[in-house]
Amino acid sequence: MFWHNFKYSFKTLIRNKTLLFWTFAFPILLGIFFHMAFSDIEKSETFDVIDIAIVENNTFHQNKFFQKTFEAFSQKGENQVFHIQYVSLKKAKDLLKKEQIIGYLQMDDEVHIVVHSSGVQETIFKYIVDEVISNQKMIEDLASNEIGQEYSKENATIDYNKIYAEITKLVYSDTESLDNVSKTNLSYTMIEYYTLIAMACLYGGVISMFVTNYKLANMNCVGKRTSISPISKIKILTGSLLASYVVQMIGLALLFIFTIFVLKVDYGEHILPIFILAITGSLAGLSLGIVVATFVKAGENTKTGILIAITMLGCFLSGMMGITMKYIIDKNIPIINKINPASMITDGFYSLYYYPTFHRFIFNVVSLVIFSILMIFLSLQGLRRQKYDSI
Amino acid sequence: MKKIIEVKNLTKEYKKLKAIDHLSFEVKEGEILGLLGPNGSGKTTTINCLLSLLKFQEGTIKIFGKDMHPNSYELKRKIGVVFQEIAVFEELTVYENIDYFCGLYISDKETRKKYIEDAIQLVGLENYKKFYPKQLSGGLLRRLNIACGIAHKPKLIFLDEPTVAVDPQSRNNILEGIKRLRDSGATIVYTTHYMEEVEILCDRIIILDKGKILAQGTSTELKELANIDEKITVEVEKISEKVIDKIKRFPTIHEVNLNMNTLIVTYKKGQDNLGKLIDCLKDNKVVYSKIFSERPTLNDVFLSLTGKELRD
Repeated sequence: MFWHNFKYSFKTLIRNKTLLFWTFAFPILLGIFFHMAFSDIEKSETFDVIDIAIVENNTFHQNKFFQKTFEAFSQKGENQVFHIQYVSLKKAKDLLKKEQIIGYLQMDDEVHIVVHSSGVQETIFKYIVDEVISNQKMIEDLASNEIGQEYSKENATIDYNKIYAEITKLVYSDTESLDNVSKTNLSYTMIEYYTLIAMACLYGGVISMFVTNYKLANMNCVGKRTSISPISKIKILTGSLLASYVVQMIGLALLFIFTIFVLKVDYGEHILPIFILAITGSLAGLSLGIVVATFVKAGENTKTGILIAITMLGCFLSGMMGITMKYIIDKNIPIINKINPASMITDGFYSLYYYPTFHRFIFNVVSLVIFSILMIFLSLQGLRRQKYDSI
Repeated sequence: MKKIIEVKNLTKEYKKLKAIDHLSFEVKEGEILGLLGPNGSGKTTTINCLLSLLKFQEGTIKIFGKDMHPNSYELKRKIGVVFQEIAVFEELTVYENIDYFCGLYISDKETRKKYIEDAIQLVGLENYKKFYPKQLSGGLLRRLNIACGIAHKPKLIFLDEPTVAVDPQSRNNILEGIKRLRDSGATIVYTTHYMEEVEILCDRIIILDKGKILAQGTSTELKELANIDEKITVEVEKISEKVIDKIKRFPTIHEVNLNMNTLIVTYKKGQDNLGKLIDCLKDNKVVYSKIFSERPTLNDVFLSLTGKELRD
């Protein structure tokens, strides 16, 4: 029964020209558009040193880690990232107003970043500061563990300088690799291609919604006929969902093949993690489609509209259409991006960009899987033993 | 005979509208029950409630002696439904559509293959197996719709207006197919607003209007209810009120109606009504072009029960 449903759902999807266009052709067309629009920009692009300011105050002077790290980033030479001016708060505000810097960093109880506008340089500034904060936290944790272990020994002697030196060495090696990653891979075009992949993943929801609607008696006549069959909707739907997932995967594979071999997009060393993220992102898109199909009591077109609106809103809040939005949401309502699949996908891609380790990437992949399983489970429960008020 | 369907006191309301109003009826094994009524009379709603697709406020439904629920899979296995709307996949061929729906009931491939061929033969789609639905005419689509609903050889079949908008050739083909299904032992519930089909096909008829049963019985029993034995239709050039009054005074007359140039005279009973009417028209020098006598139809029954035509 499972394969019977899988076979015919697959045939139905693969022969539907409208769906094929949106799943297979549209992302490729967008890819061509991006290629035409950004390839010239890319050729002329050079990486400029970023002008920033750091507000000099007691907190900053006491934080040796921050001082040393930013000194490293501002060392003259091929790998210089920042040109830093150490100034008062008033002067920093003035420099920002005159657009002589793209932003400034101020430290008190927390670390604040103030930028003039959104853009690639501001993005780099923000991510590097985030990275420095997380590394500092790691040092503090590791240091306290080391100290704790030493204390547990009798007649312990603690060489704080040694601990600090070793950990700082570790962190500097990380910082250096972060710097390298930023310099070699960061480009407008790549961000757009990642956005394209993320959107293609989420639009998979349209396919799963299409097959789910065919199981609902209040949606169409085929749904009525399926509902009166002696097979539970869950059994029927499972085969159909796998078929829609396979079709979605074919669409993504074509997109990757086209961008890599025709548009010559270089996804860098992280091609495998990108595939993994696309596969889990598609699962999340698929689960979103089933949720809308199951719980929205409206016609087929309205459901499609709602699904696309949710997807677009998710993409917007996750920073796909301007990275500033992601910061605003992260800062003010962080829970939204924690449950937003679009944010999980983009964060996963950006983490490959900006983080030398895979912790954040794995966290996003696992979050996407959990989100998908939860949504599919809720939908299947909603579909069980369904009777309608009207059809 | 065994009761296949037992419906007691079924009531379905849509907000303020009562779509089905305390409906009770039974369907016996091997019979074709006709649900006859105008559009909006509650025929399709009744079927949807029987199939457990719709919630209802009151009443009980037993099919094959058991309560019907959305997860009554053993009962559903014995049921086939042909919906009023075409319920097929546009992306699948004729053969694939039938195979898909039949496969929801029959898992053995060899058995299914035979059943599909039988269904295709029954509805006469042998030459269209590889056609897609959009390549079929309205009548052929209806036949495909039927094949998808009955391919698994169900014991109980619901046919909801299967001949709507169908050409005469396809209609005859469909009606013949339904008779063959009955002959093979299936029990059939047939809804329509075409009284001719009901008269040809059904062993018993329930006349519905506004969700209520107006009358039920065999075609002959229902016609007796209307208190009409004969209906004579005359196309006249001109007829005076005086002549109409004379006709109305005939002893067995039921009703006389003049609609434009068509005079319809119905009789309670009696013999030689046609001869007496022709004599009367001749005596009063009424010129007529056409005159014919017929037995009353179910439409006349409906008219006498509700005061309106079935297709109003």
